[in-house]
Amino acid sequence: MAIRMKTSSGQDTAPTHGDTVVQRIASAVPGWVWWLAGIVIAAGFPLLNVIGVVETAWLRVGVVSLIFVLLSLGLNIVMGETGLLNLGYIAFFAFGAYTTALLSSPKFEIRWPFLAVIVVSTLVAMVAGFLISLPTLRLRGDYLAIVTLAFGEIVRLTIINLVPLTNGPNGITGIYSPRLFAGAKPALEGIEAWFIIDKPLEYYYLVLVCVVVLAVLLTNLKNSRIGRAWNALREDELAAISSGITAVRAKMLSVVLSAGIAGFAGSLFAYYSNVISPESFLFMQSVIVVCMVVLGGMGSIPGVMLGAVVLQALPQLIREAAGAARSDFEVYRMLIYGILIVVMVIFRPEGLLPDKIFKREAHEVDPRELEMTRQSLFDLEEGEKDLGV
Amino acid sequence: MSFDHIMSVTIGGLTVGMIYALIALGYTMVYGVLKFINFAHGEVFTVGGYVAAFSLLAMGIDASTPWLKVAGAIALALVAAVTVPMALGFLIERIAYRPLRGRSRIIPLLSAIGVSIVLQQLIIIVFGPKPVTIPTLALSSASVNLFGVDVRVLALVIIAVSAALMVGLTYLVKSTRIGKAMRATSQDMEAAEMMGIDTNRTIAFTFLVGSALAGIGGLLVVMYYGSLKYDAGFLYGLKAFTSAVLGGIGNIPGAVVGAIVLGMTETYGVSVDLGFLAWFVLAGLALGIYVQMVRVPNRRLAHIAADRRTPEYERSIMNVYRLAPYHGIKTLLAERTDALLSVSAADAVRLMAGNIFLAVLATIMFINSSVRIDTRWQPVIAFVVLMVILMFRPSGILGEAVTEKV
Repeated sequence: MAIRMKTSSGQDTAPTHGDTVVQRIASAVPGWVWWLAGIVIAAGFPLLNVIGVVETAWLRVGVVSLIFVLLSLGLNIVMGETGLLNLGYIAFFAFGAYTTALLSSPKFEIRWPFLAVIVVSTLVAMVAGFLISLPTLRLRGDYLAIVTLAFGEIVRLTIINLVPLTNGPNGITGIYSPRLFAGAKPALEGIEAWFIIDKPLEYYYLVLVCVVVLAVLLTNLKNSRIGRAWNALREDELAAISSGITAVRAKMLSVVLSAGIAGFAGSLFAYYSNVISPESFLFMQSVIVVCMVVLGGMGSIPGVMLGAVVLQALPQLIREAAGAARSDFEVYRMLIYGILIVVMVIFRPEGLLPDKIFKREAHEVDPRELEMTRQSLFDLEEGEKDLGV
Repeated sequence: MSFDHIMSVTIGGLTVGMIYALIALGYTMVYGVLKFINFAHGEVFTVGGYVAAFSLLAMGIDASTPWLKVAGAIALALVAAVTVPMALGFLIERIAYRPLRGRSRIIPLLSAIGVSIVLQQLIIIVFGPKPVTIPTLALSSASVNLFGVDVRVLALVIIAVSAALMVGLTYLVKSTRIGKAMRATSQDMEAAEMMGIDTNRTIAFTFLVGSALAGIGGLLVVMYYGSLKYDAGFLYGLKAFTSAVLGGIGNIPGAVVGAIVLGMTETYGVSVDLGFLAWFVLAGLALGIYVQMVRVPNRRLAHIAADRRTPEYERSIMNVYRLAPYHGIKTLLAERTDALLSVSAADAVRLMAGNIFLAVLATIMFINSSVRIDTRWQPVIAFVVLMVILMFRPSGILGEAVTEKV
């Protein structure tokens, strides 16, 4: 009992003081400077490619990283803000990607306009999220984790088995490039090419704009009534319900919204990669997104963005540099991700760039639970010393 | 649909179900004591299977080995398949779960999923990504004639061993000192400690027992199918968890019942025609209609206080259930209504939706009565079962045995 108390209270106080010089300097800089710096770096990165410093392959890594930033922003709503675990998140990504592939590829000879496709993809993923949350959200939070885990696997198996619709393991190829303002007659001959997005650089800026807009929207949402309801549910569901929050409705909103963001990201992914196959939607991909959120900091919007960039870009760059064999690399990469999750939740559950509320909550040992884990009832004197009584 | 076919399918389903039960017991015991899903349990099962397979391979037995030596080798493999998972389960609890006890609920869950990933990758690194295959033994191909049907001896062995283990476990939990400690810990950890129970030791013991059962399950699966893949634990774990929920999580007999029901459903689902399965759905529909028309309304009526027990009120409650499409929805849509009535209306509409679903399902199945579901859809069956049970009876067939402390 005594040891447990000491460690938990030690962890509790140490980070909040901001002891180190780095932390003190970092806290002196206002928040908007960090945001601006992030946007400038992200927007400036492709220019390095334009002037020929970095190869186009790195730009491709950048696009995929940004798509994963979208995904982890979406997962953060469920995991970080509401405190529910979604282990089949990539399934919603797959819904978006396959909807896009079916609505804009030679498969059925359909080519819907870009905006319509992306809206429909988002909606399809949202409906899937709604259906999955319908039976589970009335129950304890853990059930959502296992049901989404199963759901992710079933979606993948269905994609593989439903050959007439999805081409099975071969996937759908030749997805058309997005045309902005499709249908509008170009005033000048040749100007239509300007509205077709097909180069990595153009994709990069398209996704970057989406990321910035989404980050702003989610930051506002986080500070709104809905966001506070989510946080309250995460902290103490019983207290939140007693304060008049409709738990099921708020949780459902968070699951559906995050599914929609995954569908949106999936649509962009399908457009960008031209080819999609079930291989992109393995369970491990869901785990990778979970890992991004845990590393960056659950509930922290800048945190999860950082986590996504670090975990998506870094391994790619290492692989480019080392030229390691793909399968070997994947095994060790996943091993490290698994260890990372365990180590992070034990030693720094608030992540690299913590969210203030979540940080306090993550280290807090629930008094009711603490009572339950008390080791010995009779070392009262030591216990009192530690409590500072 | 011959008797032979039904018989062999039943034995197959029972065998698969018993293996699910061995794994499901680990889930349900940990859930009962700690109230959290031990995602790494499926991987512990895989490790058991791999250790067993590799110790059999190391002893170099094949079809020509004398039976006494084979028996000795299997006994040694059994020892390995029990001890290694036990050590693993103990370490996992000590390293990844114990420091997080009492923290915000999502945190131990995340730790569990991290451990499961680590174990799966470690299996690939240590044993290689190829499935492990053991040589065919005389035992694995032997069969006996039971009621005119050839049945694999191993299937009978699996059923017998699992049944014996479950009886043993029930004795352990019900009648021994440590079993009493386990029950007390799961009921109220604090009070258990006040009674002098070392809850940490009890929890560690729970993990040891669960992991040992999973390890034995691994050995049996390797012997039965002859091979095991590194990611097998994922689907087995998922199905075992489904079994635990199906029977009522935290409930030991429930896990066994749920596992057998799931094993049967899966096996029947892909090996007989839809026309035959439709009769089961029809039986389910009959049960559903009985529940909607008689069981649930009678339970509701028992809630009415004596002073409100007017015949009209009782009739309106009954009408909500019996004429759910009309009265139920009308009551739900009414602006101000009686609390019991509105709860009953929501309940009735839900039950009715379930019954309509079953009716539609049975009709579709009768229309396509000669169709058989392809084997590749088999994993989907377990998922559908999970969703349906969560939708209509989240407490499982035998009811939950989890005491929620608020």
